[in-house]
Amino acid sequence: MGQLTHDEFFAKLADIFTSRKTKAHGAVFLTQKRPQDAVDPLADLHPPHPLPVLIRATNGKGKEDRAAKIKLATVVQPDELDGFYARYAEVCKAGMAALKPRDRTKRKAKAKKRKGAAPAAA
Amino acid sequence: MPYYAKSEDWLHQSALLLQARPSTTRITTRYHLKPARRTPKPPKSADTTTTAAAAAATTTTTQQPQEKEQTQNSKPPRGHLVLKTFDPSSGVTLKYKTSKAAEVTRLVQMLGALGKRMAGVVTAAPEKVGAAGDDVVMADAAGAAAAEGGEGLAAGSGSGVQTPVAGAGAGAGQQGQQGQQQAGGGGKGKKKKGKR
Repeated sequence: MGQLTHDEFFAKLADIFTSRKTKAHGAVFLTQKRPQDAVDPLADLHPPHPLPVLIRATNGKGKEDRAAKIKLATVVQPDELDGFYARYAEVCKAGMAALKPRDRTKRKAKAKKRKGAAPAAA
Repeated sequence: MPYYAKSEDWLHQSALLLQARPSTTRITTRYHLKPARRTPKPPKSADTTTTAAAAAATTTTTQQPQEKEQTQNSKPPRGHLVLKTFDPSSGVTLKYKTSKAAEVTRLVQMLGALGKRMAGVVTAAPEKVGAAGDDVVMADAAGAAAAEGGEGLAAGSGSGVQTPVAGAGAGAGQQGQQGQQQAGGGGKGKKKKGKR
């Protein structure tokens, strides 16, 4: 499993999200950490220079479904972090469509109801 | 393995954990779908009417329960988002859970902020801690200054202005009581509204 470029990573991550949309259950895992081999253990608290960040994504398939498992990984250099996370946010927001949308209709109905109820009480 | 109620708290604690163990801590975001909690029930004649009647009795309007049932029947699976900061060497786990789409962008921004800490771009202590430390010092200084000022004032006004001060104090007390009463009244009003 080699590391992907950012473009490939985002394209495949979007694929994972869309495949998740069509099914009614399942999970997507996104992980970020410092690459292990990049540091010697003594210098980790005060790195002399900024280190890259490793980003991983899987579609949450376990051992019994190893063939269907998709694993993505990419390395983000410290100077690319801002741009990467901006795109990351876009892809995540687009992909996580099953989350609860901001519901304005209910609040409006409630306000209407309250308005209607107030004169009746007075 | 605490779940934090606020994402800001999670961010703060995660930043502290990252500062302590930057090389082993990892942040996992889990986005998972669950089928809708209530599966649509097949309509039974007697049961549904009674339950519907009960529902209508509890809520004032009769239209709402019907709407609710309709939405439940056609409910798509709901997504949940769990952010987890985990440090395997110490076993610390910090979690935050949400199901609101409005938070996603902000949460990914938080991931970005933590990613910067991970990369070592930002090595300073989390803002809250620094601010709190500064605030403590400043508050002490300000408090001391205020105390000195107060003493000076008291000493200055100690000659013949004692009664008005006492009167002002009494007035303030009355105002406080009135304020409390008003607040109580407001609370009652709110309760009434809630019952309807």
